[in-house]
Amino acid sequence: MNAIDTAIRAAAASITVKDLTKAYDPQTVVIPPMDVELKAGEFTVVLGPSGCGKSTLLQMIAGLERVSSGKILIGTREVQDLEPKHRGCAMVFQNYALYPHMTVFENMAYSLKVSGTPKAERAERVAAVAKMLGLADYLHRKPGQLSGGQRQRVAIGRAIVREPAVLLFDEPLSNLDAQLRHDMRVELADLHRRIGATTVFVTHDQVEAMTLADRILILNKGRIEQFDTPKAIYHNPASVFVAKFIGAPPMNILPVTGDGAALRLADGQVVANASLTGTYQLGIRPEDIVLDGKTEGHAVKAALRFREDLGSHSVLAADLGGSTVRIATPFGADIADRLELDLNFPTSRLHLFDAATGRAIPGAFGAQ
Amino acid sequence: MTSESTLFSNRWLPVLLVAPFMLLIVLFFYVPIFQAFYWSFFLEQPFGGGSMFVGLDNFARVLSDREFWQAGGRTLVFMVTASSLAVLIPLILAVAADRKIRLSLPARNVLVWPKGVAGASIGVVFAFVFNPFVGILAPLNKAFPGIWAPGIDGTDAFITLIAAHVWSGIPFNFVILLAGLQSIPRTMQQAAAMDGAGPWRRIFDVQLPLIMPQLFLTLVLEFTESVTSAFALIDTITHGGPGGATTLLVYKIYKDGFSGYDLSGAATQTAILMVFVILLTAAQFVFLGRRINYER
Repeated sequence: MNAIDTAIRAAAASITVKDLTKAYDPQTVVIPPMDVELKAGEFTVVLGPSGCGKSTLLQMIAGLERVSSGKILIGTREVQDLEPKHRGCAMVFQNYALYPHMTVFENMAYSLKVSGTPKAERAERVAAVAKMLGLADYLHRKPGQLSGGQRQRVAIGRAIVREPAVLLFDEPLSNLDAQLRHDMRVELADLHRRIGATTVFVTHDQVEAMTLADRILILNKGRIEQFDTPKAIYHNPASVFVAKFIGAPPMNILPVTGDGAALRLADGQVVANASLTGTYQLGIRPEDIVLDGKTEGHAVKAALRFREDLGSHSVLAADLGGSTVRIATPFGADIADRLELDLNFPTSRLHLFDAATGRAIPGAFGAQ
Repeated sequence: MTSESTLFSNRWLPVLLVAPFMLLIVLFFYVPIFQAFYWSFFLEQPFGGGSMFVGLDNFARVLSDREFWQAGGRTLVFMVTASSLAVLIPLILAVAADRKIRLSLPARNVLVWPKGVAGASIGVVFAFVFNPFVGILAPLNKAFPGIWAPGIDGTDAFITLIAAHVWSGIPFNFVILLAGLQSIPRTMQQAAAMDGAGPWRRIFDVQLPLIMPQLFLTLVLEFTESVTSAFALIDTITHGGPGGATTLLVYKIYKDGFSGYDLSGAATQTAILMVFVILLTAAQFVFLGRRINYER
């Protein structure tokens, strides 16, 4: 650990959002009142479909977008009315937004130059960051002479050289090709482990969210659907929206009816015992469905429609009581020319959601 | 070369398409210019009837003429002041319009209109606007009699000329510079804001460097244009007066040639002016053009 790592770790501050709203006019509310606290040094991924308000939230924290009402605190300081430069945030943009007329060094040193840092210190800090990011050999090049991954690193370097209290990322990996995206993801995780800056990372990619985040904030139409660790979000989704958004292929959601003793599918097959009445939505992950085996749960029959062999595993799509269920099985499972599948839903892996609100009903099948 | 053959199956088609334009350029631009260069070595009779080869005599005569150097000096002053103002003022307007300040949308439209007005018409309008008795500066004369007198005072006449030229140059330069500013990604500005640069600092550190190609283009065009396009303005506003104070080279050439019937002298001055403009443009490309970063 060198000096700049320590300095960034020391500067990291928490972000507290209180009653924050954003509306362009009374009809277009982007973010209804929101309360959330991001801990100092934590890597938070804000995840949601396009138009869910995740970039707007980031821009409001950065100061590039005005808040309609409410407060944003960085550390203990209220910042919602401050200019971006007084908030102590640094940002990495989707298209990098490097200054094309400046060299890599000048790009990274610009914020220090603006803040009046002495020349010698500027050079020292840029050199330290460049070394950390493997850019030491490129300091005299212009951004136009760099590859996509290198530009991305310069953008990150430009952000962390100021030792910001908060590091903001606005979909920074979406311009890179698949291989590079994977590499940068690993690099980012490694970087965060080393410098420990408070990080807010906006993305619509669930893989980035699952792999990078300490905690994931899932937004839907400006509302927080769930804010928890990747593990908790995957295993205990708080709503149908979260259940369908996380996981590839996503969780199967089936309409079920309770008759007081059992939950039945639309075609009458029993999938679980429960003393519930009324209609619900039942969720089960494709990899939790057991094919041709016995579990503590109920067995149902489904008609196979098609299979996709993905190498590491196969995904089967089957018709079950009028809905499509997807089942993840080991690659090459012997299911050739079978039209009917025997499926088993382990009760401990079932999720139950309210049919109207889509919210999870915890403990519906006993202790989980 | 492969791209050409794939674009046009018939190799004569592109030639045919360009021909009308080339014909016009050759007939009305290249031929007269070579004619002028050719005539500058001859002594031409004013009403036709033959000419005599005199070598460099015409050049010697023109270059030893004090009026030529005075007109040349005035051309230079006009070129520098008028063209830098004709770039600077649209630049300020474009930066303002780009920042979406109040009324920038109507302003953007209004500012483009002068482009549709002919030089001579602009001259007539400005002769009226700056008229010492009924123009906008007339009240000034009421308060301080004689302070604004473009009909008598050479400097006042020169200012009138520059104002008219700058006004007519605003639309084109404004459009080019605004387009340049608007092609700068919004995130670039946001990045600079996050880096701590205020609006003024961003103009000088980010916006101006990034519109250098556009600034260079407008400057080169302005410099060359200011030499010739002043003619319509001079002919309508000042007629070169008072006392020759606004006789730029282009107007002197016209007067010498078509009023004084010194055809050879006019041709010689045309040749000199032409060489000067070519050298100036070349110098701009050599000293400025190379340092411009066209990367985005």
